[in-house]
Amino acid sequence: MTAAEAETTAPTAEWVRIEDLYENPYPIYRRLREESPVAWVPAVGRYLVTSFEACHRIEQDAETFSANEEGSLMKRSMGHSMLRKDDPDHQTDRAAYGPVLRPKAIKETWTAAFEKNAEKYLEEFRAKGPGADLHLGFAAPFAAENLREIMGFRNAAQEDLQRWSQTMIDGTGNYADDPEVWAKAAASSAEVDAAIDELVPVLKAEPDASLLSAVVNAGMPIEAIRANMKMTIGGGLNEPRDVLGTAVWALLSHSDQLAQVLAEPALWATAFEEAVRWVAPIGMYPRQTTREVEIGGATLPAGARLGVVLGAANRDPEQFENPEAFDINREKKPHLAFGGGAHFCAGTWVARTSVAQVALPKLFAGLPGLRLTDRPAREGGWVFRGMLELPVAWN
Amino acid sequence: MPTITYIQPDGAELTLDASPETSVMRAAVNAGVPGIVGECGGQAMCATCHVYVSPNSLEGLPEINDEEDEMLECTSAPRDPERSRLGCQISCGPRASLVVEVPAGQV
Repeated sequence: MTAAEAETTAPTAEWVRIEDLYENPYPIYRRLREESPVAWVPAVGRYLVTSFEACHRIEQDAETFSANEEGSLMKRSMGHSMLRKDDPDHQTDRAAYGPVLRPKAIKETWTAAFEKNAEKYLEEFRAKGPGADLHLGFAAPFAAENLREIMGFRNAAQEDLQRWSQTMIDGTGNYADDPEVWAKAAASSAEVDAAIDELVPVLKAEPDASLLSAVVNAGMPIEAIRANMKMTIGGGLNEPRDVLGTAVWALLSHSDQLAQVLAEPALWATAFEEAVRWVAPIGMYPRQTTREVEIGGATLPAGARLGVVLGAANRDPEQFENPEAFDINREKKPHLAFGGGAHFCAGTWVARTSVAQVALPKLFAGLPGLRLTDRPAREGGWVFRGMLELPVAWN
Repeated sequence: MPTITYIQPDGAELTLDASPETSVMRAAVNAGVPGIVGECGGQAMCATCHVYVSPNSLEGLPEINDEEDEMLECTSAPRDPERSRLGCQISCGPRASLVVEVPAGQV
């Protein structure tokens, strides 16, 4: 038993196993929330926080619940990005992102790219023929190419971004300390560094609308540029990819709701918000207490490592009626899928626009009679959760 | 201390004491005023602290900057050309009181 465990009043949930979380975390979240919304979970080495109220409180109190976690695997995998900094250091980095990911720039610059990319990958996907996997065949390259363009990696391909993202994320989750995982993450990290180094002088001489150009010309130090770009590669690809897959799967599994959306295009945005609530692509993120604190009925010591389980908060019956159901007609209420407070997802509007305004309508218009196949769709994950395979057919 | 009054869509009113620099969003979130979410913590990034400023409170408020302006195009309830503001961008300042109406929805 560690010192942190000795001083807490939180119960221990020894029954939670990582492989069960990966398979389907929701029954586990339900039991945790009912038994104790803050519980020490030995399998993951964290106190998991599973109620909406407690997760929300943590997001609004960065002084007590620090993002700057000690021994963070993310720092090791990607460097020290703004995601693991507190204000004012966080704010310095965040300000350098400027207007690039905000609604005006999206409207004026990026929406055209999203439309072009949706058409390109839709055409490639259609050519694969019915039975193809929409997750790997459309959602992944679409999200990766959008991210490549926004970030400004003109010297890389979308396939590079997919590889960089996955290998560095695997490093972030490498609790088993597998040397092969670290080697792959380090290789990708070096590739990203090289790509950035090549572009820095080019963008200094000739700035453009990209994120890399913004941070370079805001004078962000090179180490911070590298870490923040890696965080953005890790945090900007899987999430739109996975909410896209989840939304398609959910709508194809609920034909009445799909009919509603097809009849009323304003509901694409509603379907997107419900999909991201129902299966939050980032299901858990870490925080560390800076002082002894009482939360969720338990006392935690200073230095306690927490897992803020957004995937559980978004299915808390105290916040959402019938929370386990995908229901675009539910009462509109705030969810936590984009996080909150200073670390509110910087890519929120990119995801909303690229997925809800562009990809979903184009997919359903371009693949008439879109439907699931006999080969079942599969989903997985808990820290990150989304489709693993989404075979579909069309007319 | 100056006060901020929140008028709900059903007409219910709540008045809070707030220091001159405390934003309409922060005062509401701290006090749990219904209908003000403030999810991004005041970065003008989420458009969930939208309010309609009462006509008598409009004078003397700071100008709407570009960031607030683009977010006001993203609100759930319709934007009022004169009265819509983000609660995170306005506070009492030198005035004794500020009155805002809470819209019917933020998400």
